[in-house]
Amino acid sequence: MFTPGSKLFLGLTGFVIAVSVIYVALVDSSVGGAVALLSVAIGTALLAGLSLFNRDGEVAVGDVAAPAGAEPLTSSMWPLVATVGFVGVVAGLLTHPIVFFLGLIALLAAGVEWLIQSWSEGASSDKTYNASIRGRMLHPLEFPVLALVGLGVIIISFSRVMLAVSKDAGAIIFIIAGAAVLFVGSVFALKPSLKKTLVVGVCVAGAVGVAASGIAAASNGLRDDLVKAKKEHHFSHKECGEEEGEHFDHLAEGTISLRSNVVATIELRDGKLTARELGVDKVTQTITFPRSNDATIIFRNKDEKEVRLTAFLGTKAVQDGVVEEVLNCTQMIGIDHEQALTFKIAKPSMASDKPYTLTVPGLEGQSIEIMVP
Amino acid sequence: MSTKIRRIVAGVSGLAATSFLAGCAKDAPQDTWQPKGTNAKIIDDLQQPVFAIAGVIGVIVTCAVIYCIIKFRDRGQAMPEQTHGKPALEIGMTILPALILAGVGVFTFRTVFDLSKTSDTQMVVNVTGQQWWWEYDYPAQPEMGITAPIITSGQMIIPVGTKVLLRETSRDVIHSYWIPALNGKRDAVPGRVHTLRLDADKPGIYAGQCTEFCGLSHANMRMETVALSKEDFAAWVANQLTNAKSPAEKTLAKEGEGVFLNQCVRCHQVNGLKKADGTPAIAAPDENVWSGAAPNLTHLMSRNTFAGASFDLLSPKCRADVWGASSETVGKKYLAGVSEECLNQTDLRRWLRNAPAMKPMYADPAKLTSTNGKYRGMPNLGLTEDDIDKLVAYLSTLK
Repeated sequence: MFTPGSKLFLGLTGFVIAVSVIYVALVDSSVGGAVALLSVAIGTALLAGLSLFNRDGEVAVGDVAAPAGAEPLTSSMWPLVATVGFVGVVAGLLTHPIVFFLGLIALLAAGVEWLIQSWSEGASSDKTYNASIRGRMLHPLEFPVLALVGLGVIIISFSRVMLAVSKDAGAIIFIIAGAAVLFVGSVFALKPSLKKTLVVGVCVAGAVGVAASGIAAASNGLRDDLVKAKKEHHFSHKECGEEEGEHFDHLAEGTISLRSNVVATIELRDGKLTARELGVDKVTQTITFPRSNDATIIFRNKDEKEVRLTAFLGTKAVQDGVVEEVLNCTQMIGIDHEQALTFKIAKPSMASDKPYTLTVPGLEGQSIEIMVP
Repeated sequence: MSTKIRRIVAGVSGLAATSFLAGCAKDAPQDTWQPKGTNAKIIDDLQQPVFAIAGVIGVIVTCAVIYCIIKFRDRGQAMPEQTHGKPALEIGMTILPALILAGVGVFTFRTVFDLSKTSDTQMVVNVTGQQWWWEYDYPAQPEMGITAPIITSGQMIIPVGTKVLLRETSRDVIHSYWIPALNGKRDAVPGRVHTLRLDADKPGIYAGQCTEFCGLSHANMRMETVALSKEDFAAWVANQLTNAKSPAEKTLAKEGEGVFLNQCVRCHQVNGLKKADGTPAIAAPDENVWSGAAPNLTHLMSRNTFAGASFDLLSPKCRADVWGASSETVGKKYLAGVSEECLNQTDLRRWLRNAPAMKPMYADPAKLTSTNGKYRGMPNLGLTEDDIDKLVAYLSTLK
């Protein structure tokens, strides 16, 4: 009744169920591990069912004999991929949406491939012809997807390497990698007589090398300054007081502010904070903005140390009886650098007990008042 | 001359005469051919000769075409000799227009640079457009007597003979500010600040119109610039720097203040208005209006229009008296504001009764899903006639 193949998979199913029971009882009673093991059991049970249904793919006595000259069918990996996909779908439903979607993609891809392959293998008795029509159907899908996956793996792997090594090493690696690609590409272009196997071998070796480096770098984690910067929340820029962090984007000011449409330029020079409004050719300590409208200013640091500009924009009630200040600020601005800051003040000045101001944390006695009529 | 030709000539002459006479409108406050300020005159100095040149060329071309149509019309004559190419004529007809355009271009560029000059600015006004009204705020400028910021809407007041820089922006969509008698137009774009310089030679009220389609009530988004003598401007500033005073107890206006606090202060600010507990009443248009702003009404009756300058606060007779005043008397008449006798109660009451019925706005609560329930314009507040009486009495005190 049971075929050898189905016996194998049924055995595996029983074994995995037993292991999952033992795992839950002795190792970890949480759901995660058991779900993974039971998902494997479901997969092997499915394979057992398939083996039983098609009698391990053997031609039984009494079946129609293959036509003369017919070549044996090729083995197919798609049942296995479909099983993995199915397991992923089930496991994903219980664990994480990403697992579910990866499983679903694998299941759909296997279904399409399996369908087309089965169809093409029965198209004629000529194996070469069958393979060609399969290619015509599937290569327009397979090649772009494979290229996308391949490039994705290389890009992600390379980015992991760059995030793991120091900034200096990163620059060197980038130069070497770029030079190597240029050199190898030039050789391939100049020597078209090179053996195809050699070209493929070099490309595969390079791709595998990058992927392996990426896996190693990812398991090693981010370099120290990035880890610290993440802990200091500098990527989300939450620091509006005196800078207490060590790692942040020192070049955040860039040059984009030069192209921004600004209503005032705030400058810190020799410890003095001054403002210059659009269209008015004189410095001032008071600037006026319309309410409820985005206003963009530029902060220019002409002082002798890195500082930031902080805008006090009134207060807001965060819960009953609790009021907190609304602040906005630039990042730390290097000497002779600048950054744009955009904010909106909804209420007129009279709505705030304290005037709206622009200040530089750590610099006493200097502020620009923002008047909102 | 045949009957047919006589008809054509008569028709063309009639059309030309009609067009010509159409330019003689008596009441044309947005006439671009009557500049009243430096920049408008700079534009006029360019457009007059360009128009003359274009007109002459237009007349020559039109006459040539008409001549050819008549002279060479098909009368069954034999096909004339066919020639190809007249190099001298072709080169000449290419070079001549190029030279004319180059000449116009030189003066146009010079005009553009002249108009963009801001270095000698004497006063600054922030101009903010939103659907469908203009807000003006004056930064503190002690040298102009403005010791604290001033905010108003609809009508912008400037001192005569003063180079005023407008810093234009918008809170919602693109608008365009244009007072034809004082300068060209300039777009007010959300997120950007554009500058435009104005000045007026003589005291007067100069009308304008938003010139960038900005939605449902674009046609009702009007504005005026009122130029006052320096003394009158100082008086206007002094008045604007004061807060509104609460009406006397047990008056209709005092009851109207209560209605205002109940209904209107959600969007409209009146500086100096206090709640029952004595704390300042702060409007929250940012929570109720899509643009985040509604006109400040502290000195509503000091201006003589409302609702985006679409309607007059002055009765027709009083309006004619102020708008038709000479440059010597317009300042005094304007500063008198809107008296009880001159108040256009009809339009003000209609507005309070159902604003969207007078000026199309997106104010139907059932249709505000795209703006998260916020209004674009003033909604129908469902006020009773009693409330309207009280409100009119209160608003009349906001001088």
